[in-house]
Amino acid sequence: MDFASNLFSAGTLSQILVGLSRTTILFIVSSGMSLILGVLRIPNVAHGSLYMIGAFAAWSVIQFLGGGLFAFLAAMIVAPMIVAAVGFVLERGFFSYLYEREHLMLLLLTFSFALILGDLVKIVWGPEYRSVTVPAFFQGSAEIFGLPLPWYNLFLLLVGPCIAVFLWLVINRTNLGKIARAAAVDGEMVGAVGINTGWVFAFTFVLGSFLAGLGGALIAPMVNISLGMDHSLIMETFLIVIIGGLGNMWGALLGSLIFGLTQSLGILVWPQFGIAFPYLAVVAVLVVRPRGLLSSTW
Amino acid sequence: MKKAVSILAVAVTMFWGTGSGIAGETIKVGFVDTYTGPATTFTNDVLDGFKMAAEKINEKGGVLGKKITYVTRDDKFKPDIGLTMAKELILKENVDLLVGTINSATALAVSDLCKKEKIPFLVTFSKSDKITGSMGHRYVFSMNENTEMAGRATAKALAKKPYVKYWIAGDDYEYGHAIANGVFDHLKTLNPKVQLLGQSWWKVGETDFTPYITQILAAKPDFVIVATGGGGMVNFQKAAQSTGFNKKVPFYQHTAIELSTLSPQGPNAPEGVYGTANYLFYFPATKENKAFVEEFRKAYNRYPKSGALYGYMTARFIAKSYEKAGKIDKEKFIDAMEGMTLDSPVGKMEMRACDHQVTLPMFFGVTKKSAQYDFLTATDVVSVPGKDYMPSCAEIAKTRAK
Amino acid sequence: MRRSAAPFLLLLLPVALLALPQVLPRFHTYVAAIVLLTALLATSLNLAIGYTGLYQFGHAVFYGVGAYGTALSLTRSGMPAPVAFLVGPLAAAALSLAMGVICIRLSKLYFGMLQISLGSLVWAVVYRWYSFTGGDDGIHGIPLPDAIASPKGSYYCTLIVTGLCVFAMYRIVRSPFGKVIQGIRDNPVRAEAIGVDVKMHQLASLVIAGFFGGVAGSLFVVVESSVFPDMMFWTFSLEVLIMCLLGGMYTFFGPLVGASVIVLLRVFASVHTRYWGLILGTILTLVIIFLPDGVLGVFVRRSRPREVPGA
Repeated sequence: MDFASNLFSAGTLSQILVGLSRTTILFIVSSGMSLILGVLRIPNVAHGSLYMIGAFAAWSVIQFLGGGLFAFLAAMIVAPMIVAAVGFVLERGFFSYLYEREHLMLLLLTFSFALILGDLVKIVWGPEYRSVTVPAFFQGSAEIFGLPLPWYNLFLLLVGPCIAVFLWLVINRTNLGKIARAAAVDGEMVGAVGINTGWVFAFTFVLGSFLAGLGGALIAPMVNISLGMDHSLIMETFLIVIIGGLGNMWGALLGSLIFGLTQSLGILVWPQFGIAFPYLAVVAVLVVRPRGLLSSTW
Repeated sequence: MKKAVSILAVAVTMFWGTGSGIAGETIKVGFVDTYTGPATTFTNDVLDGFKMAAEKINEKGGVLGKKITYVTRDDKFKPDIGLTMAKELILKENVDLLVGTINSATALAVSDLCKKEKIPFLVTFSKSDKITGSMGHRYVFSMNENTEMAGRATAKALAKKPYVKYWIAGDDYEYGHAIANGVFDHLKTLNPKVQLLGQSWWKVGETDFTPYITQILAAKPDFVIVATGGGGMVNFQKAAQSTGFNKKVPFYQHTAIELSTLSPQGPNAPEGVYGTANYLFYFPATKENKAFVEEFRKAYNRYPKSGALYGYMTARFIAKSYEKAGKIDKEKFIDAMEGMTLDSPVGKMEMRACDHQVTLPMFFGVTKKSAQYDFLTATDVVSVPGKDYMPSCAEIAKTRAK
Repeated sequence: MRRSAAPFLLLLLPVALLALPQVLPRFHTYVAAIVLLTALLATSLNLAIGYTGLYQFGHAVFYGVGAYGTALSLTRSGMPAPVAFLVGPLAAAALSLAMGVICIRLSKLYFGMLQISLGSLVWAVVYRWYSFTGGDDGIHGIPLPDAIASPKGSYYCTLIVTGLCVFAMYRIVRSPFGKVIQGIRDNPVRAEAIGVDVKMHQLASLVIAGFFGGVAGSLFVVVESSVFPDMMFWTFSLEVLIMCLLGGMYTFFGPLVGASVIVLLRVFASVHTRYWGLILGTILTLVIIFLPDGVLGVFVRRSRPREVPGA
C-alpha cells in the first residue's frame, strides 16, 4: 500500500482520464437535476426513474433497428426524446397545476412518480436483465502507458464537453434559456413582465428529463440494464448538485468532476475503501462552503 | 370529518384483509422472495421451476391426495418487509412451509422466525453459509450452494494451477467478502505458496469498473478473484471485455459461466473467464437434463437457469418428504426430508441430515464462444461432486457450537 | 385551531388499542405494533420538520442507531434489559446532537443534504463492520425478556412506550418551548431579533427528535428481535418524510395517520399485488392533488408560512 508511489505512477494519468469519463455521465444527469431544482425549485426524486427509462428505451431502439453503429447513434437521440416526452406529460399533466403548493409536497409528488415509473418499467420491459453492446466502432481500448482505456470511455470524454457547451448555449444564448435563468432567480417578476412562466417551466422540465434520459442511454452499453437502476445514481446526483450550487450548470460540472476524480484517484490510493472518497469530499465541501462551491440561484 | 371517516374505513377494511385459502385440503407453500428490482430475474426462475414440478405432481394426483398450491409475497429485497411477509404467510395464510429468499439477511431473519414458530423453511438462492452453518437449526433447509461451498470447490480447482500472486476484488458487502475469503482462505491451505497482493472493493451496483481494472493491472497479479454478485456479474464482464482485462489477467467469478450472466451479453461476453455454477442447461448432456430443459422451454419459452433447478427440486423434495412422512405434519416432514436422495437433472441430490444442506455437484469451467448458441458457454467443464467440497458434519457442528 | 374531533378520538382510541390483541388474530396484533412504532418515528420526525421547520432528510439514521444500540447492548454486553433499551435512544440523541452541531449552520435543503451525507457515512460503517454489527446480514435472534418477547407482550410494550412518548411530545409542542420553535420555523429572522437563541432551540429540537426516533428503533427490536442496516438507509428516511407529508405536517397527529396509512398499505397491498409501487404512487398523487396539506391538513385552517428569501 505505497500511497505515494501509487499516486504518481503511470496508472495516475489513466485513472484521471477514466475519472473524467465518469464525470460525463454524472454531469449530464446532474445538470438535468440542477436545472429542474434551480428553475422549478423541485428536488426531482423521479430523476433516477427517468434515467432508467432512458437506458431501457435505448435498448428498445437498438433492438428495433437491429444493432450496429447507426442504431446506437439513433438510440442516443431517440431514447432521450422519449424520456423528454414522459417529462412533458408529467409537467403539463401534474406539476403545472401544483406549483403554489407546499415545497415539500412537490418532493412528495416526484417521489410518487418515481414509484409509478418504476413499476411501469417493470410492466413494459419485464424483470429480465437487458444488455446493449458497445457498437463495434467503439469496442476495445486504447493503451495509455500500457494500461487500457476503453474507446467508449474516450467517447464519453468527448461527449461530456459537447453537452456542456450545448447547454451553455441554450441557457445563455437562447431567449428561452435566458428567461429560464431569470425565472430561477425571480419567478414572480418574470410573470409580472408578461411572460408565460408556464411554458418556461415546461421547457425546463423537458430539458432536464432529456438530460436524464441521455445519461441513461449513454451508460446503457456499459452496464446491466435492470430494474433498480433508478436508485443507483440518485444520491450521487443530489450530492453533486448540492456541492456545486443549486441551479448552477458549471456547479454541476464542478461537482461531477470532484466526484469522478476523487473516486478514481481514491481507488488508486486505497482500493479497499475507494467508495468512501467522494462522500468524504462532499462532507468536506459542505463544511467549508455550506452553500456549495459556486453561486446558487436559491 | 367525512374524509377522515372514509379514510379510516378504507384502512380498517384493508386491515382485516381478505380471507386466505382453505387450509388442510391442499399443501400450501408460502414463497417470500424478491420480485422487485434486479434480483427478479433469478427469483422468477425459482418460482417457474417450482411451478413446473408442482403441476406435474398435481396432475398425477398430488401428494397424499392433496394438491400443492403456493402463494407469493414480494419482500422487495428488504429484510424488514421480508419478515413481515413471512409472518403474514405463517400467521394469516397458514402455510405449511416457507420457501425463499434471495436476500441473505432476509433468509437469516426468516430462518430465526421459523425456528421460533417451528415451521420448515426451505431456502432458495441465498448463498450465505450461515444459513446451514453457524445459524443453522432443525427447521431450515438450504436448496442450493453457499459461499463456503463455492469457495472450497474453486480452491480445489485453483490449487492445481500455477498462479502465485493473487488479487481479490469485488462488491463491498457480505456476500462479496464471503466468496472471496472462502476461495482464498481454502486456496491458501491447499497451496501455501499463494500470496495476496492486495484488494479492491467497490460499492454494490457499481457501473464503471475501468478505474479499478486499471489499478489492478498496474499491480500485476497472476490471477484475480472477482467477488461480484447478481447484477454486478454482467457489469464487470462488460468492463473486462472493453478493457481486454480477460486477455491480460485470468480471473474467476462465482456464477461467471451461468446463463444469467452470459445470456444478456450475447456473443460479446469475455472469453477465458473462469467460473463455477451449479447448473448448466447443456452439461451434463444426460437424458434427465435434456428432458428437464425441453419441458422448461416448452412451458416458459426460455432456457432454465440455476434458479429453475432449485425451484424444481424444492417442489420434488417437498412432495417426496410428505409422501414418506405419510401425513401433513411439520415434524414428520422434517424427519422424512433428512437424508433423502432424489434424482435431478444434474444427478443425485441428497439432503444431508446433519445440517440440512443439499448436496449437489459444482461445475467449474471457462467461458468460450459457442458455435451453437448466440451467447457464450462453458468449456473444459469439470464436475466436482458435492461431497468433495462441502464442509464435513463435524466442522458444521463446531461452527454451530460457537 | 383544531376541531374538537381529536379529543373524542383520543378517548375512544386507547380503549380500542388496549383491547386489540384480545380480539384480533396474532398477525394483526403484530402489524398494529409496527404501525404504532412507525407512528412514533414519524411524529418524532415531525418535531424537527413540521414544528421547527428543519429539512430533516436523514431521520432514519436515528431510528437505526436506536435499534442497533439496543440490539448490540442486548447481544454483546451483560447489561440488564431496561438499561439496554435506554442505550439505543441515548445513542441516537447523542448522534443527533453531534450531527446537529455540524449541520445547523446550513439552512433548508443544504441542512438536509449534509445530514443525509453524514447519515450515509454512519450507514456505511454499520454495513461494513461485519464483525461488530453483523454487516449487511444484520443481527437476528436478539434475546428479549420473557414478558415482552411474546406477541401480546411486545404489542403492549410498544403501545405503552409509544403512548408515553407521543404524550411527552404533545406536551413539548404545547409548551413555551414548542411555541418558540414554531416561531423560529415561521420567521427565524424575527425570532433572532427578539432575542431568541435560534441555534440552541433548533439543536434542542433535533436532540429530542433524535431521541424519540431512537425509541422507535428500540421498539423495533422488541417487535422483530432483529435489526438491519436498511433501517438507517436514506430511502427509509424519505419514506418517513412521506408519512409526515401525507398525514399533514402542520398537525400533531398527521404523521400518525400518515404512518398508519403507509404501513397498512405496504403490508396489505403487497399481499394482493405485485405492483405495490404503482398503487402507492397513485394514492399519493391523488392525496397531493386533492388534499394539499395532507390527510389531516383539511382540519387545520392555517396559512402556510411564507418562504422568507435568504433564510
